[in-house]
Order: sequence, then structure tokens, then C-alpha cells
Amino acid sequence: MNVQKTMLAVSLSLVLISGCGGSSSTETVIAEPEQGFTFDASALINNVTTNIIVAGYESLSVKGQAFHLATLTLLNTPTAENLAAAQLAWKEARIPWEQGEAHIFGPVDALSIDPHLDTWPLNTTDLQTLLETQSGFSAQVIKSWNDDVQGFHTLEFLLFGDGVAENIKSIEELNLLEREYLAATAEVFADYTQLLAGAWTIAQDPNDSNSTPYRDLLLTPSNDIYSSQKAVVEELVNGMIGIVDEVGNGKISDPFGADIDSADTSLVESQYSWNSLADFYNNIQGVLSVYRGELTLNSTDAIGIRDFVAASNLQLSQRIDNEIVDALTAIEEIAGPNNMPFRQAIANSEARLRIQVAIDALAVVQTSLESDVLTLVSSNDWKTQ
Amino acid sequence: MHLNINEYLVMKNSLLIRPLTLAIIVTYILGCGADDKKVALPTVKYPDYVLVENLGDQATAHGASDSGHGFSTPIATLNPQEMGKHLVGDAHFETSFTTAPNLEHAELDGLGPTFNNQDCNSCHQRDGRSSTLTIPIGQDRILLGADAGIFLRMSVDDGGCQQPSSSNDFCKNNAVPGFGTQLFHRGVLKARADWQDNPFIGQANVYLSYQYNEISYADGNTVVLKKPVFTIDSAYDTDNIADSAIMQADVRYSPRNGMPIFGLGLLELIPEQAILALADEADNNNDGISGRPNWVFDAIKAKAGVEIPVSLGRFGWKANTPSVRVQSLGALRGDMGITNPLFPDESIANTPLHQSYLARTGYVDTGIDEQGNTEASQEFSDAVVFYAETLAVPARRNVNDEQVMQGGLLFEQSHCVSCHQPDFITVSGDNVQLGGIDAPESLKNQHIYPFSDMLLHDMGEGLADNRRDFIATGREWKTRPLWGIGLTKTVNPAAGFLHDGRADSIEEAILWHGGEAQKSKESFVALTHADRSALIAFVMSL
Repeated sequence: MNVQKTMLAVSLSLVLISGCGGSSSTETVIAEPEQGFTFDASALINNVTTNIIVAGYESLSVKGQAFHLATLTLLNTPTAENLAAAQLAWKEARIPWEQGEAHIFGPVDALSIDPHLDTWPLNTTDLQTLLETQSGFSAQVIKSWNDDVQGFHTLEFLLFGDGVAENIKSIEELNLLEREYLAATAEVFADYTQLLAGAWTIAQDPNDSNSTPYRDLLLTPSNDIYSSQKAVVEELVNGMIGIVDEVGNGKISDPFGADIDSADTSLVESQYSWNSLADFYNNIQGVLSVYRGELTLNSTDAIGIRDFVAASNLQLSQRIDNEIVDALTAIEEIAGPNNMPFRQAIANSEARLRIQVAIDALAVVQTSLESDVLTLVSSNDWKTQ
Repeated sequence: MHLNINEYLVMKNSLLIRPLTLAIIVTYILGCGADDKKVALPTVKYPDYVLVENLGDQATAHGASDSGHGFSTPIATLNPQEMGKHLVGDAHFETSFTTAPNLEHAELDGLGPTFNNQDCNSCHQRDGRSSTLTIPIGQDRILLGADAGIFLRMSVDDGGCQQPSSSNDFCKNNAVPGFGTQLFHRGVLKARADWQDNPFIGQANVYLSYQYNEISYADGNTVVLKKPVFTIDSAYDTDNIADSAIMQADVRYSPRNGMPIFGLGLLELIPEQAILALADEADNNNDGISGRPNWVFDAIKAKAGVEIPVSLGRFGWKANTPSVRVQSLGALRGDMGITNPLFPDESIANTPLHQSYLARTGYVDTGIDEQGNTEASQEFSDAVVFYAETLAVPARRNVNDEQVMQGGLLFEQSHCVSCHQPDFITVSGDNVQLGGIDAPESLKNQHIYPFSDMLLHDMGEGLADNRRDFIATGREWKTRPLWGIGLTKTVNPAAGFLHDGRADSIEEAILWHGGEAQKSKESFVALTHADRSALIAFVMSL
């Protein structure tokens, strides 16, 4: 940065000096070659904010309501089919949430919705005691309780059981109190998903209807939150880095351990439902969505971070796209030919080789995002117009 | 150090284009033919802090200083071993603790039994300030629960303490009988004897509401200020709240909000003599600003057997803790109820509440096991402390913006720097320690710009909590560092400013200044709207 500013000053001096005296008309002023690249990020920001982030949270809200309805049906009509439907609704709601972890900033943190929905580990000690000693569970009461007895994983535990030997729970294993607790907690869950979508689209403070929807702060930078387009793009890229790091170095690596003897199933995310690999996959799918600017990955002309990178280096943009796809493939292949769940895979020597491939692939993505993309965002080479 | 803008050089680290350009233009005009009219344009001289970009010197964050990750970047110059320790601490910082016993996650149990939050991050969201709670529509107050990053300190008033000594227990605050010096408004399920009717409640319920007051400028613009008001009920020690020990007339409360945790290692390495040199308790220079150090009990010195275990206070809203280690591990034990090697006793040890809890739950959650291990290990404690010591300072934004630079001059002219001391140089050499452990080289000999003198100042009646903290009075607060403050709402859009989050903006925070800062506030209020905006733009660039 300093070098460029110095050159600017020298260039300016040359122009000014050349303006002195009549004889200067014969002097030659050497213009600096144009450096860097130009990319107006307005369309990128608009597309990613509207069609990925907001669309994702609206999808979560819709699926949250559907999940709540499924638990009410299960409460009133306890059949195996209704239990299976509630389990499926939980997995459906999990998809936009995990994809949304590629952009964990704004209301999801400010309104404490992340811990409300996704605290881990859950407090099985207190949960069991509550189920043994309390009754008449309501959403209003449960909402005031600690985060570790509500949210995704409490619901998962109630729906799927402890997940040790199997992720199947019979309807006979789900008593009335558990179904009451499930429905009340699902109502709290659905309320939070609605709150989150509203914070992005209606008012970021649900208690202040005059507060700006968070979406608008990204769409119109140069405000107190985002000082420029660069700030918004930096936010998006750091969001991608954050989840790639968490999946590679946390969600997968922590239970994986240094060797097979130190593998720890208690650290596996979504271990009760055996939904771990789907979680990881959706996390990175969220990264690809922001990178390509496509939520469903069906269109080919959407504008994402990829286009920003391409404005500087087309080959680099394609290389990173390939790296993210490789990471997705590696995660998908962890299950192997026998469709092994992650909590079993970490204790299987062959599967561990496949897990290591996924960890390495994620490390490649993280390095590229940090060393290439973030550097590009921060550099003075990028001119917005 | 009292700064005069004419004493500053224009150039600093080649960061300024505008004055450089001005200088070139002056050269151009003066350098043309002898017959040309010579006009010398005035050269604007800015204080160096107006021009500096890297507020943490080599410990400044890059690649995140415009976004919500601005407070969460490790210092890039840490060595690989240190970086590894930082990342382990990062994970610990987000660890959510659970009720003991947790057979599946024994390493994570031990929460409470009473507490204010379950993990560090909940009070320091994304390593910044916590969200200021707003009142739900249709209600007049809100119960402090999992969303709250604020709690109440409390103590029995004793008229003050001037000089810490063994005879006055080193000016420690007097605990409220049966409670302590911090009100834990949350609990594990069975924390209380009446847990079946009051599950997950701690020592008492605390509610927040606000009083509002409108301020008018001479130009007709107005600002609405809000002041938190706390009410308490359901205390564990009585059915009649008026009879509770915490409701007696001599009990004093002080709300405390979570604050940012970046740059803390640098602040701890500011030479003590550099801070003390700024103190002017008797206001001998008659500038209306005193500034005095807080001298506080140091648990590390006490553990080491130092006869007078007292140190200069550096951290906390009233400079009431001496080091990141004492601050962090004190919060681990207090705010979360996780015992650790420096603070091995539960926060409510030796109270009727704790005794009944242990009896009710079969003595399985005593805070220390048969082998003498605390709930958090030494390794866990060291890593989480190191994390808080080694987060980089975000770089400034818009340094060369004309309005920002103009605001820098107004910041100087309004004497804000009388308390918001711009810069220090951290200690260098061997045997430099942080909380009793060798300090990373990355933190040494850095020219930093925290904009705090690290001293206590009387901030007036409006901000007073009327509760002393060691030797800090009920009207005194430590000057808050301003570095990174412009990113506050980027990191957490619901965050507020000041000790209880009452200010929703920099402007509101300035308008709450009183006492020693009254004249500076009046200078700000007297500015035109454009100049007020410029001064705020400068602060937002930090």
C-alpha cells in the first residue's frame, strides 16, 4: 500500500513539475501502467444476500414451521409413520441451517439464535431429570430454560434416541411427556427460525420495527456496519473460511483424533440421528453456494465470489471452484460402499483413510480462501469502479 | 502527555496522501518562475495518531478489519507453537459447559451451580461486546436469561477504602451475606431447593427496563438517551424479597457488560511507570482531569505467597483486575461457575445455597475431585487465557478520508486525549511475563494506539454506580480503549457501549460523559452538526 501511495505522489510531482515554464512542452511524462482489476460488487452482494442468505433463512423458517407441525401431529397421533415424518422434518430443517453456517454473522449471533438453536453438547443430565419430574411443558416455559435443553440436538435426542447402536427409535419408546416436550421445544425452535428470517427482511431488532432489516445493510454499504463493498465481500469470504475451518479442523478432526485409539464418538455432531456427514456436506455446499452465487446450484449465470476472483484471475477462480467440489466429493465418499455413518467411520481403519482425504481437501480450500481470495479482497489492486 | 497539534509532524509511516499532496502543491507554486506570484498555502499538521493505520503495530489484524471477524484474528507474528495454543484456546472460548455429572462429556461438566452464562462467547460475542437487550413489545421489562451478556456486581457499602493492606483485606469488596460479590441470575436445574417450581434460576431473578431522556443540541437536533434500571425478585434466601440480604439499604450494585477481548496482551505489557506517569490525582496541572490508578488484589501474587498481593489494576470496567489471567480465570469461576487452578473454590462456596445444593445432589458437583483436580484443567486455563492475550487489533479504516482527518483534529481540540491517551510502547527485553508466564515476543516493543490512559476518572453522576471497587469510587471508571470501537456493530449489530450497554452509538456514549469529561462533552455539544459528525467519523475509523 505504501509503495503505491509513494508512486502516486511521484507521479503527481511529475505532472506538476511539467506544468512549470514554457520549455516543459518537450518533456515526456511517463504514465504508470494501470494495475489491478475492476469489479463492481453490487450485483454479487445483491445476489448472494437476496438469493442465498435471505432465501436460505426463509427456507429454514418454512421448514421450522413444518417441523413443528410434524411434532404436533406426533403428539396427538403417536404412530410409527408420524415419528418417521417428524424425523424427516428434522433432517429437512437441518439442511438450510447447516448451509447457512457458511455465513454466520449478523442477527444469528446478535439475537443469540445460534446458541438457542444449535448448542452442543446437550445437557442430558438435566433433560432426563426434567422428563422424570416435570409435566405440562409449554413453549413459553422452555424458552426461558437453558440452551442446552432445547434446540436441534435436544430435539434430535428425543426423536432418534442415543444413537449408540442405531438411529432408529420405535414409537413405543416415546412416551407422552417426551412428545409434549418435543412439540413445545419444536415450537420454540420454529419461533426462532421465524425471528431470524424477520431480522434479515423486516427489522433486525424484533422489538424495534424502525430498525433496519439486516439485508439492507449489506445491500447498501457505506453505513455504520459495512463501510464499503469491500467490507461486505470481506464478510462473505471470512464466513466461508470460518465454516471450512470448523468442518475440517473441528467437526471432523476432533472426533477423528490423532489415531484410531483416540477417536471419540462423543464429539461427533448430530451423532444421535447419524446425520453427521449430511451436516458436513451441507456446510460446504453453503460455501459453494456463496462462491458460485447459486443456492440450488442449478443455474450457471449467477454472480458469486467466483466472479470476483475471475475478474482478477480466471484460472484461479476455476481452481478454487474445483477445490470446493473436491472437498464435497471427499466428504460424500467417507460413507464408503457400505454407507457407514461418521460415528462408526472414525473407528474403522479403511474409512479413516477416506476421512483423511476429506480433511486434506478442506485444508486446500481453506488455504486458497485465506491466501488467495482474502488477500485479493484486502489488496489495493481491487477497484470497485 | 498533553498534545498540541502544532507539535506534530505531518508524515508518519508514509500513510498520508493529502498533506503530502498539499506539500507538493506548495512546492510547485513556490518553485515556478521568479515572476510568478508566490502563495504559501498553510500546511495542515495532524497529530500522528490521526494518521496511523496499524493501531497494534505488528500485532494488527489484516484481512478482517472491515468485517465482523475484525476482533477474532490471531496475531500473525505468533510462532507456530503459540499459534497452536491460540487456536486451542479459541475452541475453549466457545466451550459450552453442562451440569455435572455429564458421563459422556465429563471434561465439559461443572457448570454453576449458579452462573451468568454457559460459555465465554455468550458475553463476548465474536470476541466483542455483548448484545444490549431490548424490551419486547407489550412488556415493560425483560428477564435476564441466556441472551444476557450483562450481570450485576454487588457488595455491602463500607464507606470506601483508600489504601490496600492486610488489615483491610486489601480493599476487597464486602460480600453480601449468603450471596457474595456477584449476583448469579441463572442456575443449573437443581441449583435451588425450590427447583421444581423455579428450575434454572440462580440466586435471584433480575429484570431490565429503561428510563429515557431526550437531549437537544443548539441546532435543534435531538438524541434520546436510555438508562438501564434493574429490579430483582425470587431471591433464594426468602419468600419475601424485601427481607432478602441483597435488598438491604447498604447493598450497592454495579451492572457489568461483556467487553471486547482483542489487544489485551498488549495492554498488559504497557510499562507500569508509563501509566503512572499519566496520573494526576490532585490535578496539579489544573486541566480539570485527574486520573489515578486502581490498586487491586492480585490472586497470582497471593498464590505465590507475596506478602502484599496488590498490583496495578488494568482490566475490567473499573480497572479492578491486574492481568488477563486473573480476569479470564475469575470469569471462568464466577460468570460460569467453572473452578480452575487459580480459583479452585466454587463461586458460591460456603453459602447456604451451595450447601443445600451439594446435599440435594449427592455431593457430585463439589468443584474439585478426589484427586484435587478442578473443573477446568491447568492446560485448559492456560489456553483460554493465551487466546485472550493474543487476539490482534483491527486496523483502522478510512484513515485518509477528509472528514475522518478533520474529526481527528476536533478530537484533539476537544481534549479527548486528556483521558484517551493515544499511544504507548510495550515493554521489551527478556524475562517479560504475562500473568506469571513468559510473554510472546510478538507483544513486546510494539508502538500501540489503544486510546486509553488505563486510569480511573470521575465520570459524573449520570454514569455513577455508587459502588466502590477496590479503591475506585462509585463515580470512577477506567478510560475505555477506543481502538477497534468503530467495528463494534459490525462484529455485533446489537452491541451497545459503556459499562451497561446503554449507549446505542458513539454519539450517545459521548453525551453520557460527565465529571472530569464534562468540558470535553460540552465542547462536542457546541460543535456544528458537521463537526460533530466529523469527530464521530474519526472515532468510528479507530
